[in-house]
Amino acid sequence: MHVKHGIAVSPGVVTGEVLVLGTEDFRIPQRFVSIDAVESELGRFRNTLETVWSEIKENERLASDRLGDQFGAIFGAHLQMARDPKLIAEIEQLISERSFSPEYACSRVLRRFAGELQNLGNQYHAERAVDIFDLEKRILRHLLGQRREELVHLTAPVIVLAHNLTPSETASLDRKFVLGFATEVGGRTSHTAILAGALEIPAVVGLGHFLADVSGGEMVIIDGNHGEVILDPDEETLAQYRELEQQVHSVSERLASLKTLPAETIDGTRIALWGNIEFPEEAEVCQGHGAEGIGLYRTEFLYLETNQIPSEEDHYQAYRQVISAYPDHPVTIRTLDIGADKVPETHDEIGDDIVNPVLGLRSVRLSLHNLPLFKIQLRAILRAAVDGDVRVMFPLVSNLLELRQARMILSDVMDDLEEQQIPFRRDVPVGIMVEVPAAVMLAEEFAREVDFFSIGTNDLIQYTLAVDRADPSVAALYRPGDPSILRLIRAVIIAAAKYDVPVTVCGQMSSDPMFIPLLVGMGIRKFSSTPHAIPELKEVIRNLTIEQAEQIAEHAESLDLARDVENYLRGELNRICPDLVF
Amino acid sequence: MNQTAQQTVRVDLEQGLHMVPCSLIARTAERFPCEIHIQKEDRSADAKTMLDLLTLSAENGSMLVLQASGEEARAAVDALARLFESNFSDTDPGSNC
Repeated sequence: MHVKHGIAVSPGVVTGEVLVLGTEDFRIPQRFVSIDAVESELGRFRNTLETVWSEIKENERLASDRLGDQFGAIFGAHLQMARDPKLIAEIEQLISERSFSPEYACSRVLRRFAGELQNLGNQYHAERAVDIFDLEKRILRHLLGQRREELVHLTAPVIVLAHNLTPSETASLDRKFVLGFATEVGGRTSHTAILAGALEIPAVVGLGHFLADVSGGEMVIIDGNHGEVILDPDEETLAQYRELEQQVHSVSERLASLKTLPAETIDGTRIALWGNIEFPEEAEVCQGHGAEGIGLYRTEFLYLETNQIPSEEDHYQAYRQVISAYPDHPVTIRTLDIGADKVPETHDEIGDDIVNPVLGLRSVRLSLHNLPLFKIQLRAILRAAVDGDVRVMFPLVSNLLELRQARMILSDVMDDLEEQQIPFRRDVPVGIMVEVPAAVMLAEEFAREVDFFSIGTNDLIQYTLAVDRADPSVAALYRPGDPSILRLIRAVIIAAAKYDVPVTVCGQMSSDPMFIPLLVGMGIRKFSSTPHAIPELKEVIRNLTIEQAEQIAEHAESLDLARDVENYLRGELNRICPDLVF
Repeated sequence: MNQTAQQTVRVDLEQGLHMVPCSLIARTAERFPCEIHIQKEDRSADAKTMLDLLTLSAENGSMLVLQASGEEARAAVDALARLFESNFSDTDPGSNC
């Protein structure tokens, strides 16, 4: 039994069989073959092996000719490894006696050997595991050939373990078969993590290297509440987690019954709970969880999904779909919030000279840099707004000029639409994401010129604490409870109150029930969170009085360490809603 | 006809018995019909399987026992011993490969 610790990004507990996604995109499409296919699968394996041998021989010859015999000898050793009788016998045995697919059998046996080498405790041998992985890739590449399959073609429930999952891979996970996932890299606010939350499957990321110990097929537990992954659990642990799984399930069933009840404190203050979405389809998920609107529609997936710039019509149709789920409720559309490196045509233009994408040409800067791109999106938003309560929000605004320019483009677009006699809505509220410390410093000035603020806690924390949560070596420094963060939020609330500008909090912080009493106590009345968190947030709110929340905020703001703030808030949550603290 | 043979050799390679020497041992061993094992302390590896040999983790200076039984056992042990005596130099430059 191995216990690995990572970052919990999507709650829940799940137990199941492992499917490993190779680091080079090799996906083992099926682990077992039917009994009558065993003979032909054995034949396929042997043919592949012969191809692999001649390929390595050719490499050996080329390397010897061009680089010298000592380099050829490396491939000679690879060849010897690929011809290892023990290896071949083991693989063939798994295929013929246990009906393993050749892909699965090879991967499993080679990974076991790699693991043995790594466990010898000698640096040289540990590095040889890489040679074995190389052989594995070589064999799989030939075995799979055109048969490489996408995750979408799963046929049995699994838990996916991978070095990394791209957002589009995550998005394509079939919830019917993917019970949960865990990755070696990634952070709480990576798009992959955000999507896991949206898919509502337990997920842990940022585990560091662990895949070499895993071949696939073994049992694994994903604890998305604590960020733990348990490989090969013993019976006792398994029983314990199955019970926890039950418990989590029954709590979420009870919470689901809150769906139709209002998010109202004990003393009658209404709190708005909105949902964050990435895909239009998620608007329905939000409804299912009782969200009263969309507080953050991240439109960048329109750009990430395909390798093309989305057309005005693509934008319009996506927005219409969200609005049709919420015709009478707020739908807050955030304009493009990614770096130039992620936008196909822009990337061609600016090339690969991006030094640091997080501090580079991204979000509203990119929109202002590429006006045709920006105008396409704004036109679609204004047109779609005819049918609903749409608000437009600019991300990463860091100075007043950016806001003024963006507003000017918006009014240009309105003029164009009017001239072209295309129906649109003129009185669309305009707000900004407050997520750069500079915007907090100038919150009063901004408050005079916007209709609303939305505090984007993910980026605000990243830029304030100078921590990239996706980097496991510093992820622990990323603390929403840091006193500096609380002070910034307080400053925004004070500035906004002066000009009567409503403030929403979005980002992971507003999805964590532990921070709700604090934020309500500080004066926040609107939250936008991942949809699955809404029932929990509602439960907290319904068990809270404003007076109690204010006391909690006052005490939390008096503490000077993130750890103390978070421990205190966890303790308070435990008193308010004991069964939400697992 | 059944025979057995045995000989002790010393690893004289800076990197120990690394990948290339292991492959040369396996390549030599597989030419003989007999069973050949290489023993290091309490660990024994099949000389015809390179992955097994790697797991011996035989460092520079370690003493290994070559054991063969079956047809051509003597010739097999001699051939392997020669590899060690020549320090695998025919093909291996003793590099860090």
